[in-house]
Amino acid sequence: MPSGALLFQSIILGLLLGGMYALLAAGLTLYFGIMRVVMIAHSAFLILAAYLAWWTNDRLGVDPLLSLVVTVPLFFGAGVLLQRGLLSRLRPATLTMMSVLITFAIALMIEGLLGYAFTGTQRRIRLGYGTASFELFGARVAVVKLIAFGLAAVSLAALYVLMKRTQFGWALRATIQHRDAARLVGIDTERTAGFGFGLGLATAAVGGTALSLDTTIYPSLHWHWIGPLMAIIVVGGLGSVPGAAAAALLLGLAQSLLQIPMGATWAQTVFYVALFATLAVRPQGFFGGRLAQRF
Amino acid sequence: MRRTTGALVLSAALTLGVAACGGSDDGGGNSGDDPIVVGISLPLTGDFSEPGKGVQEGYEAWAKITNDKGGLLGGRKIELKILDDQSNADRVVADYEQLIGSDQVDLVVGPFSTRLVVPSARVAQEYGMLFVEPAGAAAEVFNQGFKNLFYAAPAVADDHYNHLAEHLLALPEGEKPKTVAYAAMDDPFAQGTAYGLKKKLEAGGVRTVVDEVYPPNTTDFGSIAAKIAAAKPDMVVGGSQYQDGVNLIVALQQLNYQPRLAAFSTAPTNPEFAKAIGNKTEGILSPTGYSQDAPYPSNKEFVEKFTAQFGKAPEEDQANGYTTGQVVAAAVEAAGCAEQGECQQKMIDWLHSNSVDTVVGPLRWDATGKPQGAHMIQQWIGNDIKIVLPADAKEADLLYPKPAW
Repeated sequence: MPSGALLFQSIILGLLLGGMYALLAAGLTLYFGIMRVVMIAHSAFLILAAYLAWWTNDRLGVDPLLSLVVTVPLFFGAGVLLQRGLLSRLRPATLTMMSVLITFAIALMIEGLLGYAFTGTQRRIRLGYGTASFELFGARVAVVKLIAFGLAAVSLAALYVLMKRTQFGWALRATIQHRDAARLVGIDTERTAGFGFGLGLATAAVGGTALSLDTTIYPSLHWHWIGPLMAIIVVGGLGSVPGAAAAALLLGLAQSLLQIPMGATWAQTVFYVALFATLAVRPQGFFGGRLAQRF
Repeated sequence: MRRTTGALVLSAALTLGVAACGGSDDGGGNSGDDPIVVGISLPLTGDFSEPGKGVQEGYEAWAKITNDKGGLLGGRKIELKILDDQSNADRVVADYEQLIGSDQVDLVVGPFSTRLVVPSARVAQEYGMLFVEPAGAAAEVFNQGFKNLFYAAPAVADDHYNHLAEHLLALPEGEKPKTVAYAAMDDPFAQGTAYGLKKKLEAGGVRTVVDEVYPPNTTDFGSIAAKIAAAKPDMVVGGSQYQDGVNLIVALQQLNYQPRLAAFSTAPTNPEFAKAIGNKTEGILSPTGYSQDAPYPSNKEFVEKFTAQFGKAPEEDQANGYTTGQVVAAAVEAAGCAEQGECQQKMIDWLHSNSVDTVVGPLRWDATGKPQGAHMIQQWIGNDIKIVLPADAKEADLLYPKPAW
């Protein structure tokens, strides 16, 4: 029987990890919601952002969080271009399948370019506060993990407000719900979809930067992330940002707690068990996401 | 999965292309001052490209340094023929088939990583070739029944920590660590290092309180670190490669766990290590097969000439390649020949019953090709990593207990 202290520590770690997962998965669920695009390259963009954060810190000696000033608009623009230039040109009938192939190619290109520019050497940002932590009722909370969690909370809250309270958000949700109806009421769904895609990629900039604070990065790292992130958005209900956030927190917590009795190898399978259970029992996802029903 | 399939298709296509082009140049002559052609396949792209390129530099340095001194067998120069196997086990087999069968190279030496060494050693065995290799340290290399294989390094994974185990078990009862936590990557090499030490310490009465294995794709080490920190062991041992070792050390530091001793394989000897961990490295131990400062006679020459050739000092991968070359050169000189056929068996027999002086010290092997030595133990002391064990090679005394990190 694990001690209470270990359980509490694992819960803290699980929640912090879950918050991180939520941020990383948010963009993925947006793309799918907006235009049924399965974006395999999302995690490659995360690693790209992580590399840019590392590079900013390494070359300019400033805090990696400052790189967000450049990477967020840059990724937003790249997302708009990607959607307008490539994905919107795919035929609707084969969109989902072709998007897998195209974004798979993009992921390979990003990995290759990262390897070319920064070599395969594994990098880690060295921060003055990298190993700093404080005590909370007997558990230790690492400052970098808390910053990453904070970034996740702020970005997801901003995304939520944007979706619920702004005209662009309404248009985006209308486009997600029913593209033809949205067009009928005068929404430029093409433009909205482009901006929505950009928004998803902007979350990748934030997510990748958060990731870079507390992990060692290398060009092929994104393959380790795409599986769990896909599982999260399916469990959360494709297209639902709050659903993805809830699923991410739950799975992060489950992974962290299962690690105590089962060890790391089996704890990781929680994502795939959850994915399987969702597809078998409730394919529209457990948290929100009415979208998948239409498939 | 998809990536593997893609790579397979690509390499199959390339292999066919290469096989089609493979001509029948019959360079079987062994007289006069023909160059001695050494065939090598290395993972210059793909998963193992970093260490693969390191080993390549080691081989190139060996060829240059040997040729500058007049070559082998009284004037024959060494010529390297290097192919890229893309870290792919099927490709490496095709490469050695080509090198031995159609290119008729005089000698072959090994690639990088256990996963590539085992299939290529099988090819070399079929052709009756001597096979000295720089990087197959896992137990599975030596239980395949190879009679032609020699691992050109001081020790296999299980024996890396031998000097540390001996030292700790010889400590007086009050100072000896009583409890140890082990965390190892699910990888034959990384696990081998940690479990070699575990076996010896357990036999000496040191209790294991945590024994965790994690898959190679683990990115979050918070939970494993929490388990270790909660058990408060005197010592923590990581059977690690690079990124997992660094991530685990940082996760342990974040939980403010302060062991009396911390030992991790591979990561601490990596030149990136201090860059990643900053000033929190003090006292961390690591076994290493190579040190630029090791006092073996040929090592000084190697470090100087390698640095002149490449503009940087050699690391372990480079030294492994160079050591492999030294072993092969010793066998060639002793047998007085270097070509396919009977000569190969002469060299194999000689290596089985002799020891060779190299940049990592004198090496000798058992019947399976397993080296009969142990790694040096290095420790981070004052922002530098220094040899602390064994006593005859040490540059500094072992810091124990280690300072807080």
